[in-house]
Amino acid sequence: MSQKSLTIALAGNPNSGKTTIFNNITGTRQKVGNWPGVTVEKKEGIVSKYGYELKIIDLPGTYSLTPFSIEEIVARDFVLDECPDVVIDIIDASNLERSLYLATQLREIDCKVLFALNMADVARTRGIKIDADKLSELLDLPIVFTIGNKSEGIDELLKKAIELAESDVDTSGKRKVKYNKDIENSISKLRSFIEKNSEISLPYKTRWTIIKLLENDKIVRERVLQKVGDQGRNVIQEVQIHRELLADRFNDDPEIVMTDERYGFIAGILKEVFTTITKQRIDISRNIDLVLTNRFIGFPVFIFFIWAMFQLTFSLGVYPMEWLDTGVNWFSVSLDGLLPDSLLKDLLINGVIAGVGSVIVFLPNILILFFCIALFEDTGYMSRAAFLMDRIMHLIGLHGKSFIPMLMGFGCSVPAIMATRTLESEKDRILTILITPFMSCSAKLPIYIVLTGIFFSAKAGNVIFCIYFAGIIIAILAGRLFRSTLLRGADAPFVMELPPYRVPMVKSLIIHMWDRSKMFLKKMGGVILIGSVVIWTLSAFPRNIQYSRDYIAEINSVRASYNTEIIAANGLDSQHIEKKLDAAIAELEMARKSEMMEKSYMGRIGKILAPVFAPLGIDWRGGVALLTGFVAKEIVVSTMGILYLAEGEGSNTLKNALLSSDMTPLSALAMMVFVLLYLPCIATVATIKQETGSFKWTLFSVTYSTLLAWVAAFCVYQGGKILGL
Amino acid sequence: MKQNHNNNHVREKEQFKKLFKQEHIDNFEERFKVFEIFLQTKRHVTVSELLELLNENGYQLDSSFVRDTLKLMCRFGFAKKIQFEDGPVRYEHRHLGRHHDHMICTKCRNIIEFEDQQLENLQIQIAAARGFHMLQHKMEIYGICSNCLKTRMHPMSLVMAKQGERLIIKDFTGGAGARMRLLTMGLRVGDELDGITSPSKGQMVIAVDCRRYVIGRGLAQKVLVEPRKN
Ligand SMILES: Nc1nc2c(ncn2[C@@H]2O[C@H](COP(=O)(O)OP(=O)(O)OP(=O)(O)O)[C@@H](O)[C@H]2O)c(=O)[nH]1
Ligand SMILES: [Mg+2]
Ligand SMILES: [Zn+2]
Ligand SMILES: [Zn+2]
Ligand SMILES: [Zn+2]
Repeated sequence: MSQKSLTIALAGNPNSGKTTIFNNITGTRQKVGNWPGVTVEKKEGIVSKYGYELKIIDLPGTYSLTPFSIEEIVARDFVLDECPDVVIDIIDASNLERSLYLATQLREIDCKVLFALNMADVARTRGIKIDADKLSELLDLPIVFTIGNKSEGIDELLKKAIELAESDVDTSGKRKVKYNKDIENSISKLRSFIEKNSEISLPYKTRWTIIKLLENDKIVRERVLQKVGDQGRNVIQEVQIHRELLADRFNDDPEIVMTDERYGFIAGILKEVFTTITKQRIDISRNIDLVLTNRFIGFPVFIFFIWAMFQLTFSLGVYPMEWLDTGVNWFSVSLDGLLPDSLLKDLLINGVIAGVGSVIVFLPNILILFFCIALFEDTGYMSRAAFLMDRIMHLIGLHGKSFIPMLMGFGCSVPAIMATRTLESEKDRILTILITPFMSCSAKLPIYIVLTGIFFSAKAGNVIFCIYFAGIIIAILAGRLFRSTLLRGADAPFVMELPPYRVPMVKSLIIHMWDRSKMFLKKMGGVILIGSVVIWTLSAFPRNIQYSRDYIAEINSVRASYNTEIIAANGLDSQHIEKKLDAAIAELEMARKSEMMEKSYMGRIGKILAPVFAPLGIDWRGGVALLTGFVAKEIVVSTMGILYLAEGEGSNTLKNALLSSDMTPLSALAMMVFVLLYLPCIATVATIKQETGSFKWTLFSVTYSTLLAWVAAFCVYQGGKILGL
Repeated sequence: MKQNHNNNHVREKEQFKKLFKQEHIDNFEERFKVFEIFLQTKRHVTVSELLELLNENGYQLDSSFVRDTLKLMCRFGFAKKIQFEDGPVRYEHRHLGRHHDHMICTKCRNIIEFEDQQLENLQIQIAAARGFHMLQHKMEIYGICSNCLKTRMHPMSLVMAKQGERLIIKDFTGGAGARMRLLTMGLRVGDELDGITSPSKGQMVIAVDCRRYVIGRGLAQKVLVEPRKN
């Protein structure tokens, strides 16, 4: 039989541990991080427990039911419009007063609320004592202490939530904020005004709607106008009169007065339930911030961290990468020996292994990079980075907060672009979305490592760091340009909370790495594998090519002529001559392969592309590789693996193949610059479309970045040539 | 008398311009309009009444903005707030009506008005003794008011806070939106805060309790603080 299903929403202040608890309940691994604004869209999870089917919703954090940014609107709309059976307010127990502000607002909307006093461990070490029984009695709602990251109290929380959902208590009479007599007076006058008129049916509960209208809540006002129609305008007018009245009475905007009153109500509660034993304890985070956000040393330290991140990624990543490389090679060679010559063997070795194998070796580097980013995220340094970058971001009229998505962009552009939701101003958001793809995502890393490893071996680490750095600089220059042309706008008032520093949990870091590896391998087994097969097929067919020369005859004649030479030499020097023979044959063989490749489908496509890439010093194979990168950036290396390897004279490493191609360090650099800037992958483009909600911006983003990439690569290559590099 | 009145206004406007510009108050043009219309009123006005007058004169302004401007005008001594019993808050001019002299506190910018017949007479005498025909005069004594002298404290804006300085939030200026923002994030009047980082430009970091915030310069300008004793 079907279970009864309940909807339970997790709401609360940003960074209070909602997602941690959500993951605990549902067993999923949604992104958790130690800064406010990690979750930007609602996430659902379904579990069967205690005989119920529980639909758990993780909401973005919000400070109040008066939203300022998109993700806060998401949270509020869900609580208001979807009417979950129970709302669990995840409260940061070490920050009770502020958290209770949202709690009183949740209480006002008359839904069934339950408190989870999370971070109980932090509260305890700070010497905070909360009398939960008393609090529960005062507010008339169930309360559970939890420690999210240690899964403590979660079961009890669920049980209480179900209990609450099943109880049929009337929430409307429960204790909530009572405002002073003038405000209550206005509320009741407005109420009778509305009730007098039977035509008016408000979208939400009457008292709450009146309160929100008095508070000048734009969204509620719009909804009322929408739902009630003409009469709605009268209501708004009436409210406006009361607003003016109250404003004149208190000499302040009513919303401010009402907020003060809520805090008054909270202060009354706190007095009864809240005690701290050790009053003046030092706040470690504050002391760390005195150093890490210091106006003189903060920024250099930040640059050092970023530099260290990339250095670790390359230097530490080199060893496991080499092991993997050897493994892949060994595999390729033994497969070569095992299988009889056939099309299938060709596909496996030159398609699948050359394609997937050449990317998969970069797993360690990518993992290290993600590990470092996770460290930034979990310790709480992310927000500090945002603060430190503020001065630089201000050059393009953005707040430092925009740097959070950009930093995330070093990992993957998709969540990075989603993260822009926390920016309040629409223009800031679009601007950030436009420049975030210039932060090279981890998928571009293999391309850089391959090219720098081959062409700049000794200086590889520094060259890559420069490429990344160039990405930031170009992002800022482009941003500056857009700001002064397309996206003019003034500074919005800015305030952001800095989370406490936390020691990252080893377990969650390991899990995170594990998830990353799985994702990576899935991608390898999926889109990269398919891509490799497609590219191999295109480059291996058609099989019957009209060669311009008769290679077989030429080889035979060469062999014949050398053979007579060998015989003539009569044993003398025959080894030397044989070597010469081999070389001659190999040369012909290579010419044949090269012609075959050029006449394959891939080659024909490449020929069309060639004129576009020629001025950048990139040959048709590079051009094709870059084109395939639209699917996923990792595939660029796969394609290069397949196309260059197919032609290499028996060399089985991409390195040798590339070295023997026409590519020079300069053209490699041009190619990297192109990769740094050109059109983002398909998933990113889709995300840009989704987040800007505009086809125009998406198209713009794709074209301008690609044009810019071309121009920049052109300048690098041609400029380098002029300088004689 | 009428002449004197107008002179007064001209002087007032000049002072207003000087002060508001010097203090880098935002939206100067709009605020100046509010001020001009305010000067034209003859009685105690509420914000809504003033708003109506502004409307009649074709200025579409937000009531929250007008209130903020009036508060600033009080702070700089151009207007005075009065409230009778439980009634609405009204504002009146500080300068119309009879002649009076000023003592201006350079710290809190509080303006003390006084009138001393002896002084007035003395001035006339001094002028007369030199064969000078006096039309009007202006007397402003700058210094520190008794209040400031007593507490040696005065609200300053948060941007001036230095690293390590221990402060207490006294008031907020600015529109309702920005203030709601701060309030809901847990920054309120009476909160004790410490300066953590305050660069000469850009955002600053403060700590309140065990919370830390990054605040943009524009917003910090709207937070009035006072040094806090231990
Ligand atoms: N010490 C301690 N840390 C916790 C606890 N619960 C969560 N955390 C940590 O708090 C941080 C924030 O957790 P999240 O679950 O991402 O918070 P959130 O409420 O989802 O945050 P947003 O999505 O940004 O609103 C993470 O670093 C967690 O590891 C707890 O009970 N004790
Ligand atoms: Mg979350
Ligand atoms: Zn005066
Ligand atoms: Zn005088
Ligand atoms: Zn003073």
